[in-house]
Order: sequence, then C-alpha cells, then structure tokens
Amino acid sequence: MLKLSVCIGSSCHIKGSRHVVEDLQYLISAHNLQELVELSGTFCMGKCQQGVCVTVDDALSTVSPDTVNAFFEKEVLAKVV
Amino acid sequence: MTRPSLENSAVWLAPGFSSPQGSLNETDHGSANRSVDTAGTEKTTQDPCGIFQTRPYLCLDIGSASVNHAGEELCGDHVEVISDSEQSAVVVLADGMGSGVKACILSTLTSKILSTMMHAGLPIETCVETIAATLPVCSMRGIAYSTFTLISVKDSEFAEIYQYDNPPVTLLRGGTRCELTTEEITIGDKRIMKSRARLMENDVLLAMSDGCPHAGIGVTYNFGWKMENIIEFMEPVSAAGYTAKTISTLLVDAVNSLYGGKPGDDATVCSMRVRRRAPMNVLFGPAANRCDDDQMMPLFFSKEGKHIICGGATASIAAAYLGKRLTPSLDFIDPEIPPIATLDGADLVTEGVITMNRVLTYAKDHISSNELHSRWDVKRDGASMICRMLFEEATDINFYVGKAINPAHQNPELPINFSIKMQLVAELSECLRKMGKRVKVSYF
Repeated sequence: MLKLSVCIGSSCHIKGSRHVVEDLQYLISAHNLQELVELSGTFCMGKCQQGVCVTVDDALSTVSPDTVNAFFEKEVLAKVV
Repeated sequence: MTRPSLENSAVWLAPGFSSPQGSLNETDHGSANRSVDTAGTEKTTQDPCGIFQTRPYLCLDIGSASVNHAGEELCGDHVEVISDSEQSAVVVLADGMGSGVKACILSTLTSKILSTMMHAGLPIETCVETIAATLPVCSMRGIAYSTFTLISVKDSEFAEIYQYDNPPVTLLRGGTRCELTTEEITIGDKRIMKSRARLMENDVLLAMSDGCPHAGIGVTYNFGWKMENIIEFMEPVSAAGYTAKTISTLLVDAVNSLYGGKPGDDATVCSMRVRRRAPMNVLFGPAANRCDDDQMMPLFFSKEGKHIICGGATASIAAAYLGKRLTPSLDFIDPEIPPIATLDGADLVTEGVITMNRVLTYAKDHISSNELHSRWDVKRDGASMICRMLFEEATDINFYVGKAINPAHQNPELPINFSIKMQLVAELSECLRKMGKRVKVSYF
C-alpha cells in the first residue's frame, strides 16, 4: 500500500492543495488504484516554502496544481503498477 | 412557617410549566419567602429545593432586529441595552414619532435616557418626567413623543416591565404564551403599564414596535398582522432554541415580507431569552516559546466546556499532548476553507488563519445586517462550525492565543502573517463582545 499525504495547512492551501487533492482523488479512481494507494490529508509539515507538500511513503515532493499529472505518473503510477 | 410550601414551589420547579391561572404576578408566588440582603444575593427561608436562590448558571441573551420604513436610511426605532453583568440588564425599545431623522433622534434620546437612568437605580417616575422635559418638540405636530418598552431583569429571574404605547410585551414559556399581570400607573399625563414576572430557563420575552402588528396593512391584510397571530407565529419559534438575535430576525423578516419588502413603518423586534451558560474554549496558535506549550495545553484542556483548536501546528501539539491521533479529512465543503480534522478530546479541529478570517467576516456581518446568516447556519466547513459554536452555542469564550511566528507565513507572497493573526483575534473578540458574550483572551 502506497501512502500519499497532501498538506492542507494554511500555506499549502493558498498554493492550491485543494486542486492537488481533487486531481489525485480523480487520478486514483481513474486508474482503479483505490486498493493500492491511500490518500490522506495532513496539517503543516513545516516545509511551507516547498508547498504544496506531498509525501509518498514519507518522501517529500513539491507538487503544484500544474504538475500534479506528471507527479502522479512518476511517483505513484511507476511505483504501484 | 416550618412546613415548606411545595405547592407554591412546584410552579417554579419545572421549566415550561405555566401556572394554572396562566398568571405570573410575582406577588402570587411566595414573595413573602424571599429576603434580599445588601449584596443583592437572595436568601430564602422556605426553600427546600434551592430553587429560589440566584442561578449563576443562567444568563440573558438579548438580540434585536429592525427594518426601516421604505426609503428611509435611518430607523425611527431604537433599542438600547445596558447590562453590568450577564444576569442583569436594562433594555429599552423606543419608537419615535414619524420616521427618518426626527424619529431616530426621538427614539435614541428616549432609550438612552431611560436605560441610563433606570440602570442607575432611579425610580420610573423620575425617568419618565425627565424624558417629557427633554424631548424636542416637533415643529409640525407641536408635541414631543416617543413610545417605549422598558424591560429590566435582575439575576436572570426578576423582570420588571414598563410599557408606554408600544405593542404589549409577550412572555413565551415552553412554546406557549404566558399572561403577564399588568397594572396601570400614571406619571404626569402618561399612562404606563407596569408588569412584573419571574423568569425561568428558556423563557423568551418579546418586545416590538407597532411596525410589526401594522405589517401588511392594505397589502396583505386589511388591519395588519394581529398580535395574537404574531404570537401564534412566534410560539414554536421561541421553543426551538434559537438565539435572541435569530428569534428577532425571523419575526422581522416575516414582517418585512408581509409589507411586500416595502415597510410602511419602521419595525423592530427585541427578544430576550434566559439561557444556560455555555463555556467555549478556543486554542489558536502554538506558544511563542516552545516550553510554554506544556503550560498552555493543560490549562486549555482542563477548562470546562467545549474545545476548539485552530491551526495545524497547534493541533499537532495538542495531539501529542493528548497522546491521540490527529486525522485530517479531505472534504473541501467550502472550496476556500481548508478541511477540518478529528482529534479525540477536542470538539473541533480546523486550520488557523484562513478559517478564522472567514469567521471574522461572518461575525462582522452577524452584528450588523446578518445577511450572510444562511451561509454558516447549517454548513459543515470549519468556519461555519466555529461560527455556530461561538455565536449561537457559547456564552463565555476563552481564547488561548499562542504568539508563535510561523516562519512559513512570513513569505511576502502569502496573504497571511503574524500581525494579521493578532489583528484577527482582537477584532473577533470585539465582535463577540458586541454579541453579548463574555470573552477572555490569554496570550502565550
């Protein structure tokens, strides 16, 4: 099970974490990965300058609403499929 | 006088119980049993259940709403509230003759003078004579005139009501109207109706200007909205547990729609509700000095009442202190408000500044036009939930504000920073005080 956490703290929220969450929710169901990927929210991780912060099994990535597709292919699809 | 008079006491025992005569004259019920000492606290000689004692767990919730005469910018009715404690208050609703500026001056003068003098403990005769001598005489009509309703409540229990030409004050108990016993007194050339009542928990006192029973004259009804129909409308509303502000707003909205949105007179409703105190604690931000978190957390969590935690970092510290898991949700109910989280031991966990900023917007609206009420009255986003808990549920609010500076928020690109956070707390507590809440702010 791959654990994906998106920061929903103030700073990341302003940088678009809602879009990132919604896109990831869509991508996960579009690829039928609900059984393999667990998506959750988390409060501030203290890395606001690098927001929107997303961790994949505790490894931090910087994602923006524009890069969420690329991030998903590289960090999620590549690891579970 | 050794045998407790239980028949008498039973009248005051059960909330929502109206006496068989439907009468509330204070002298009917054991007034001989009471003696008031100089400190104002009440001692009873025949009080087996302790029900005649002052009830510190109760407080008064007072709220009013108005609509102006169509085309007028000023309201000719004025409500003035003076209270030195949550259990006692003097409320005056005055309706100046005519509408617009002139009416506004008359009613403002009347209510200010009356409330200030009554609050200072002067007899009603002196107050009324002062008003009669002070009000400016209208050049067109040659008279100085403003009606008034004065309600003075002590210890959330003893109500004294003086009415001059306004629609009669209604007492609603347990969703039904209770008859007030009224006597007439004459001061100068004015006939004033005087009533007394002993209030119970969840009682609602309803005062209004004549714009309410006149609602719909010639538009919806031939003779306006009859008082008995207004009361019929308000009976279920009063029992639903709404705040005084909401009760008043509901009636004024109904009046406004009967006028077809173009009121032919200023209409004002002021309601007063005896309610149980409800403390609420809000934790906002981590302490400036990390070590102080260890003091802040036990202080916050040991307080009676519900606990709201605002801020992600704050919530994480609280979760560590409680040894419980913090679970953020991913439901964006309002696209602009970050999701809430759940934490065993806290009643609500939300994000910090963005959510609070929205709460402040709603708070400012709530104390003025109350137009945004429908945006937060049922929604489940963090800001709406805080609003309901603070504006409706709470009577005493304790803020625990941590002055830690979040380094990430010092980015000039972000619309949030430390000074905004401090400003938010200051403005919000001011708004809450205007809503009649007892607010305490502690900084760490």
